[in-house]
Amino acid sequence: MAAFGRGIDRRRLLSAGAAGTILPLLPGKAPAQGGKKQLDGVELNVACWSAPYPKFLAAYIPEFEQATGAKVNYETPSFPIYNQRMDIELSTRSAAHDVINVTFIYCGRWIGAGWVTPLDDFIKDPKKTPPDWDAGDFVPGTTAPFKDKDGRLNAVPWIADSQMAGAARYDLIQQAGLKLPDSFDDMAKMLKTVNRKDGVAGFAVENHYGWTFIPFLQGFGGDVFRKAPTDLMPTLDTPEAIEAADFFSGMLRDYGPDGVLSYTYDQVVQSLKQGRINYSTSNETFMVQLAAPDSKVAKTCAFSLMPAGPKGRFPNVASHGWGIPAGSTKKEAAWAFIQWATSKDLLLRMFRDKGYSSVARRSIIELPEFRRKLTINGFDVAQIYLDTLVLAAKGNTVYRTVPPYPPVDREIDIAIQSVVSKQKSAKEAMTQAQANAIAQVKRAGINP
Amino acid sequence: MPVGWAAGQRRAFLLGLTPSLAVLALMTLGPAIYLLITGLTPLTPVHPATALDFSAPLQNYRAALSSAEFLNSVRVQAELSLITVVLQLAAGLGLALLLNLPSRFLEVLRTGFLVPMVLPPIVVAVIWKVLYTPDISPMHRLLAWIGMPVHSLITNAGTALWAIAVADTWEWVPFTLLMVLAALQMVPKEPEEAARIDGVNALQLFWHVRLPYIQSTLVVVALFRLIDSIKAFPLIYVLTDGGPGGATEVTNYYAFVQTFNFSYWGYGSAIATLMIAGVFLLSWAISRLGGSRTIHE
Amino acid sequence: MNRHRRRAQAHRLAVHASAFILLVLVLAPALWMAQMSFRTNDDIMGTAFLFAPTLDNYRALWTGSFPASFVHSLEASAAATVASLLLGVPAAYSLARWRFRASARVALWILVTRMAPPIAFTIPFFLAYSYLGLIDTVTGLAIVYLTFNLALVIWTMRSFFEAVPRSLEEAAWIDGCGVWGGFLRVTLPVSMPGLAATAILCFILSWNDFFFALILTRTRATTAPVAIVNFMQYEGWEWGKIAAAGTLVMLPVLAFTFLVRSYLVRGIMAGGLKE
Repeated sequence: MAAFGRGIDRRRLLSAGAAGTILPLLPGKAPAQGGKKQLDGVELNVACWSAPYPKFLAAYIPEFEQATGAKVNYETPSFPIYNQRMDIELSTRSAAHDVINVTFIYCGRWIGAGWVTPLDDFIKDPKKTPPDWDAGDFVPGTTAPFKDKDGRLNAVPWIADSQMAGAARYDLIQQAGLKLPDSFDDMAKMLKTVNRKDGVAGFAVENHYGWTFIPFLQGFGGDVFRKAPTDLMPTLDTPEAIEAADFFSGMLRDYGPDGVLSYTYDQVVQSLKQGRINYSTSNETFMVQLAAPDSKVAKTCAFSLMPAGPKGRFPNVASHGWGIPAGSTKKEAAWAFIQWATSKDLLLRMFRDKGYSSVARRSIIELPEFRRKLTINGFDVAQIYLDTLVLAAKGNTVYRTVPPYPPVDREIDIAIQSVVSKQKSAKEAMTQAQANAIAQVKRAGINP
Repeated sequence: MPVGWAAGQRRAFLLGLTPSLAVLALMTLGPAIYLLITGLTPLTPVHPATALDFSAPLQNYRAALSSAEFLNSVRVQAELSLITVVLQLAAGLGLALLLNLPSRFLEVLRTGFLVPMVLPPIVVAVIWKVLYTPDISPMHRLLAWIGMPVHSLITNAGTALWAIAVADTWEWVPFTLLMVLAALQMVPKEPEEAARIDGVNALQLFWHVRLPYIQSTLVVVALFRLIDSIKAFPLIYVLTDGGPGGATEVTNYYAFVQTFNFSYWGYGSAIATLMIAGVFLLSWAISRLGGSRTIHE
Repeated sequence: MNRHRRRAQAHRLAVHASAFILLVLVLAPALWMAQMSFRTNDDIMGTAFLFAPTLDNYRALWTGSFPASFVHSLEASAAATVASLLLGVPAAYSLARWRFRASARVALWILVTRMAPPIAFTIPFFLAYSYLGLIDTVTGLAIVYLTFNLALVIWTMRSFFEAVPRSLEEAAWIDGCGVWGGFLRVTLPVSMPGLAATAILCFILSWNDFFFALILTRTRATTAPVAIVNFMQYEGWEWGKIAAAGTLVMLPVLAFTFLVRSYLVRGIMAGGLKE
């Protein structure tokens, strides 16, 4: 049910000015100069999951249609639904879609299996991409996951989902004479002092521990694999990994709300906004919601970088991007859509009109107005964002993109659950996870 | 009866049976064959060549039967199925007997009792997620208010499965209720009236008069609840994700994760085949014990 | 006599009262959800009894694709229910009355079609439907629901037919009715409660399917359960819409059940065919 693109009236109502901003981005003659509309009569099927950016994009699609003559069927189902459907479709090389979202956790699989089209030729061709589209403007950490083993780019990122830390009730922390923690030790100390003050639980993160635990794993000097992507021997039972698991589970068990193991990302955000929990190390997309108009803690929220462990600071960054399925029959038109949807111009307008801030383009992040908008309660969230992207460029998130990662992700989930629910000690749980992870890597056909 | 009548009767019955068999054969034979064949390969769509790799046909079955996670899932499944089928039968039968009185008021009420089953399972799961989250749950708040505070049930390995069983029973008792009530309504009046005139009490009335008529319905309900319990999914997906630490990971959930999250289609097929075989044996046993009989007067 | 009637009346009252109390207890979680649908979003988890109700959540449902998904669910479920009854009821009768050697085995194989977990069928059906062009169609969904409801219809109706005394039908056969004549004149009217219950169950199970709808539809034939999951967005679940949609999705089925409730009751014919 694409709501957009079907109403002729809508197109007629659009001002020519909008078309004017798009045409310079698309090489070729503008209609006014006597050229035919570039994609006249082409029907594009575009799908993405329903994150904020794709939802905002829907409002701009009529402009694209008017400028190019294409018709866009746009659908944005929820995350799990999108992934299930797309995985099956791509694996059967279906031509049902022309532009799709390459989900971060599947990019290793989809790109590695050749189900997505490499985009380098499109980018380098000046007839298909104007030079000022500036492929180098994307922060390297966000494009790295989309490179295949030959180094070709297979998707253009539209978001950089970065991890950071924040507090909903900074006033309670200040009352205890403390600041937002910068190290794991500080974090433990702060949580011990502040937990349950004013009925507010100390700490919670979403129960996808294969994502939320890793900064702690890496901060203590451990990692998921020995050296992803080349050496995929899991390293979940090293002393560092066990220490990290013990620390992280302890934080959740001792300072988390009742039932913290069942907290999905939605529940964590809601609880933070309602002031029911205090501190969290979650995605930037969620943390900035603490300042939203409907948040009860807008005046008392605070932000910082992900705290550092004894061996360093390792926030993870995930990116999702637009790609073209291998089975699509309209790849050129698909590329026209992608480079429009990720152009500097459009992203800047989206930031100004809708407040979308999780962009992957450096030129926008470094604008003064971007920084101003993201200064909340005196905290420079834009700088935190930029610093996190730089830190992640070192490659600590590569483990997520290797094909055998999803089963290993689940083993980590199960291990942390076992420790927090007191079924196993950290050592037992991580040893078991290691054994299972090795079996999973072998089953994926890799000899670790 | 005229000669040839028996042959005519047989033809008539065949005519009644064939269309259903044809549809079922058409729709399920293909997938069944697909299931058996892919169960013999390490099929994963990421490596298309695995589709025809019959080099180690029993590898999936061997892997499953030696996997601690799979074996755990079978144990959890058996536990959950036993608890839910027993609870649903008992509660459904009890409710049906209560609501069997001829009364227009009860006719209206009966519709209300169907609500839990009428809600989409995903909505039921979401409702119970709220009920089981202490910070926002009216149930937890009520318990705390009357002085019996309870900690989160779904994140505790000892209570998680029972929590799911309670939610599942709430959702599916209407199934038993609907079927048993219909069967009770079909018990002919004369035996009941005769028994009442004879002065039997309620228990005797149930055991000697009603039970023979509703017995085969009870067996069918038990069978279907058992089969459907094997497919339990939305509650586990929303409430526990199989946790904590695998305490609520039933075989169907394990198979789902392996097939859809990890793309091990071959392995998933093998597990599905094992599941069907297991359920088949159980169903065969139950239907033999329960027996189907026609009432003779 | 009076004492007897008074005891019967007291018994009725006790039954009505306890049934009502039980109903309220059973419905409590669903009622909780229904009241949530009338709250504003920032008070969605509130517990205050008195609050200013709002229709915003229902209004929000109307824009977007939810109404269409509602209609698709109705179409697919109704079609599947009618079809599975038309096919399954005669089959059930044949299995109940026709004593051939393999009948128990045939019945068990019919049951097997229902035993497979959804994951066993989703991929083959997806591939077959892609090839046949049935992806994202209401017809495609109806066919799937028909297939998996057949076993249910056949087994439950068989158990109901077995409870009908053979003598009633034999009387009709002696009168000159054929097998199906006797079925229509005698067995079916007596089995109305069973038939109504089975119809309701078929409808509900098709209405509530999630898995097949997820894999076999895209945008043109989305059904209500899938549409509801779409309210679980990345930045936060839209609880108001989920509650409103959940409440709305209940109503057609409850209406259907309410309308056929008289059929669920003991038929007039039962026991009146001795002649």
